[in-house]
Amino acid sequence: MSSDTEVVIRAKHLAKAYKLYDSPKDWVKQQLVGSEKNPYYKSFWALKDISFEVKRGRSLGIIGRNGCGKSTLLQIVCGMTKPTKGEIWVKGRVAPVLALGATFDLEATGRENVLIGGAVLGLKRQEILQKFDSITEFAGIGAFMDQPLKLYSAGMRMRLAFAICAHIDAEILIVDEALSVGDLAFQKKCVDWIDNFRRTGTLLFVSHSTGELSRLCESAIWIDNGRVREAGSVADVARAYRRATFVEKDNMKRFSAV
Amino acid sequence: MVNLNNRQELPDAPVMHFVDGKAVEPRDYNWLERIGRFLVRPFVEAWHHRDLIAAILRRELRERFSGSMAGWVWAVLAPLISLVTYTLVFGGSATLPNKAQSNSSIDYALFIFGGLVAFNFFTEMAYRAPSLLHEYAHYIKQTMFPAEMLPIISTLRATTYASIGLALMLACQLLFTGTLHWTVLLLPLWFVPFLMFLIGITWLLSALGAFTRDTAYLMMTIAPVLMFATPVFFSHETLGPTWYLLMYANILTGFIETIRDLVVFGRIPAGLVIAWTMFVSLFFFWFGYWFFRRQQDAIADVI
Repeated sequence: MSSDTEVVIRAKHLAKAYKLYDSPKDWVKQQLVGSEKNPYYKSFWALKDISFEVKRGRSLGIIGRNGCGKSTLLQIVCGMTKPTKGEIWVKGRVAPVLALGATFDLEATGRENVLIGGAVLGLKRQEILQKFDSITEFAGIGAFMDQPLKLYSAGMRMRLAFAICAHIDAEILIVDEALSVGDLAFQKKCVDWIDNFRRTGTLLFVSHSTGELSRLCESAIWIDNGRVREAGSVADVARAYRRATFVEKDNMKRFSAV
Repeated sequence: MVNLNNRQELPDAPVMHFVDGKAVEPRDYNWLERIGRFLVRPFVEAWHHRDLIAAILRRELRERFSGSMAGWVWAVLAPLISLVTYTLVFGGSATLPNKAQSNSSIDYALFIFGGLVAFNFFTEMAYRAPSLLHEYAHYIKQTMFPAEMLPIISTLRATTYASIGLALMLACQLLFTGTLHWTVLLLPLWFVPFLMFLIGITWLLSALGAFTRDTAYLMMTIAPVLMFATPVFFSHETLGPTWYLLMYANILTGFIETIRDLVVFGRIPAGLVIAWTMFVSLFFFWFGYWFFRRQQDAIADVI
């Protein structure tokens, strides 16, 4: 029984290929007569070789340029998409604060959206109703809770979404550049909440800001072109990443390698 | 290394484990267990996600009527008007197949209406299924949403309208003939296989529709034709023996015949018809589920 050292996320040589079909016809052909060896699609390897481990109660920062495979990696950890090769092992309820408010229905009120959003994240109706007051308080949007979401500002929607995520009792929290929308007071509230969460839970944190990363994480990995380029303490990885950004220009052809 | 059996700390913590794209089961299952697990899986999952199903269903139903003042009145009014129209239009002219026990105009109206309840239920699913996953693309891509539950949710939504039609049919029967056949008690035995058939079809069509828009055009093209290849306005019993049997190749025929037998004529359908519709609905249910699960990873990537 060594709860400090138990691994809750383990990735070994993860790779993910998206199948790109030129036309729907190719998809039908692939289904009928295609094989892995002689495919009618082109493979695009978003992730090529990713290995890391996260122990319970630790936090891992993930850094990398646009299109390097960060989002794909997070989707795999959440179980939204499956890896093509390699091993992924995740233990515990995952709360993705990715694309906050993806389930939001603009015509419905905040209250209804809390019920749906909570259900999508795996809460029972009874649990959501019990936590409802607490969610309302955390979001701090007052009487707007009974107004349709189309009347909300972007910041208010984000507040509501984070409030839901903060209440699902997750063991693993996945935060993807989500904190930048709220005002400073709310950002601080979120960071405080994440700090508190880290005492018991595991955190995967994606950000372009090395400052935020150093504030919330102990170790980090830098993903470049689908591979882990640098791994270690957050200070080392952040330094290497910053240095590389000065040296390596933004490559215009980065997305045309498909 | 991690001890996979160490469940003491997080007793109900879900574990996700994939190696080379395949889920790793806690142990190996023999082929019999595999089949058994596959057969119960849709029910286990639906039960597991019951609160989610209820939450989305509630929202879909509200969406359908939000912005209208009369709300549910429309859901009742539309089938009622069509029932009245059929009674008036076909009232004196048409006759029922000779096996029928009575020949009043209300019987013929109910005869058509029974066919329509089943057929409209089917077309509502067939039209919506190909675009179903596109409607929920943001859920499927960005949250851990069990996409395989969507066909169940949309079938349950359509069930509410079909139930209104069915209730109306029974009410008219009671009102005009003063009595209901005892066989209406067997209606649940018609409803459950029909639901399974429709859920299976929706699994199939929605998975196909995720990859190609042709599925939607195909359904829009064949559904109106299907209406006349299905004995909605006539009874296939009036056709010659070859056509008679051929009609059963259209799966809806069996379901329509059964609902008419139970509600309008008050008799038990032929054993072969029951066996055939049962077989077809169960086959489509598990085949649709199998197909959807097979395509599920690809769906999340292409949609």
